[in-house]
Amino acid sequence: MLIVSGPTGGSEHDGGGHPERPARISAVMEGIDDLHLGTDVQIVVPHVANLAQMARVHDTAYLNELAAFCKAGGGQLDPDTYAMVDSWSAARRAAGAGLAAVDALRQRDDGVAFVVARPPGHHALRDRAMGFCLLNNIAISAAALTADDERVLIIDWDVHHGNGTQAIFWDDPKVLYVSTHQWPLFPGSGTAQEIGGPHALGRTVNIPLPAGATGDVVRRAIGEVALPAIDDFDPTWVLISAGFDAHRADPLANLALSSGDFAELATMVAGFAPRPGRLVLFLEGGYDVGALRMSVAATLGALLGDSYHPEDSTCGGPGTEMVHQARAEWDEAFHRARLLNPSERRVR
Amino acid sequence: MRPLQTIAVGFDGSLDAEAAVRWAFELASQVDADVVVIHAVGLLEYAAHRGVAVELEKTVERLAREAGIDSARVHWNLADGDPCSVLIRAGVGPVAADLLVVGSRGQGAHAGLLLGSTSHELAEHAAVPVVIVPTGREGQ
Repeated sequence: MLIVSGPTGGSEHDGGGHPERPARISAVMEGIDDLHLGTDVQIVVPHVANLAQMARVHDTAYLNELAAFCKAGGGQLDPDTYAMVDSWSAARRAAGAGLAAVDALRQRDDGVAFVVARPPGHHALRDRAMGFCLLNNIAISAAALTADDERVLIIDWDVHHGNGTQAIFWDDPKVLYVSTHQWPLFPGSGTAQEIGGPHALGRTVNIPLPAGATGDVVRRAIGEVALPAIDDFDPTWVLISAGFDAHRADPLANLALSSGDFAELATMVAGFAPRPGRLVLFLEGGYDVGALRMSVAATLGALLGDSYHPEDSTCGGPGTEMVHQARAEWDEAFHRARLLNPSERRVR
Repeated sequence: MRPLQTIAVGFDGSLDAEAAVRWAFELASQVDADVVVIHAVGLLEYAAHRGVAVELEKTVERLAREAGIDSARVHWNLADGDPCSVLIRAGVGPVAADLLVVGSRGQGAHAGLLLGSTSHELAEHAAVPVVIVPTGREGQ
């Protein structure tokens, strides 16, 4: 069973010519249609996230300012990020879509959920919009889960580092944040030496990859660098920041994945969930609508046991050395931090 | 307090940012400091405007000539990220600036509200002192 929370945004939050645009939602829905799931797909109407839910990860002052900014007509928040009159409601619905997906899975205790929402969220900081993102959708859902004492693994395979998500959970031992991303690239964070705060040492795992890296390198990165931390963490939920801008056709970056790679990645990451009904994907980036459609179909098809592979997976690109380097740097940073903070322990 | 050795100034090509760069050059000449002129490369610029940075660097070179500052003291720095984040990092990272300088309003800011104001965010989050240069008053 595929639970789709959304689609949200519709024609809202349309910056006119901006790559983060409503057509992305149409492409995603077409990708889902390509799977011909029939009654195996259920659309969940998202509710609007309320202030208390958003305030778990965002400063109330920021939320009030953003609402006022949109009400006043909106504008540019930074050179990349815009907000309009209807962006506040769109962003709250996008955040609520994640919460609705979690609720739906809890009720069913089965299936996988996909949050088809925009604007995306993983760059949004506690007190600031950034990188097309207004509210951190995946963080709001993760915080709702940790409030119920769940242990949440966030896998972020968007081509950009999810600096907002990392910062929000930097010192939270109930969240393990794992990111693969192109380096160097916006937002400029996400080195392997960033391993978490003093109360959450080892709860952040970054694996920067060079331009041109292929799918086999990304899978190796997760398997060789992140897997020990994931095993140690033993998550009760798995949330994916599912950006599809690591696809070779994407105009905003230079990794070289195909839609087939996302299918293999999804299969791998789904194996980290403890049981059915504990896996939620959140749409992040992905700006070539054709690649987005294929990648979504391949990803969801793999999760549902379908063999929909519009493109072969890729291999042979650069990055193996960077993966080894990331492993060594993470280990070194972790052991150094433990020496400096002997009383701090990772808390399960 | 140790003497100023490195001044970092944000530059996005706006008139406000030009004012900030001029002010930083003036101060650097007086205290014998280096100036790192930082341009933040965002998502959209990376994708579509690869020639922008080249033009901005030429502008900085012109401003340096006009200010009469020793060109060896001026360093051009392209950094991935949003303007606020790259300047915050300049205060703690390899740049290790002692002072951050920005114009009062860069591109993309929304007049009348603090949201979207790089200078406001810097004032809240930077680890080193921040100077906000009002446009038109850089020579004062």
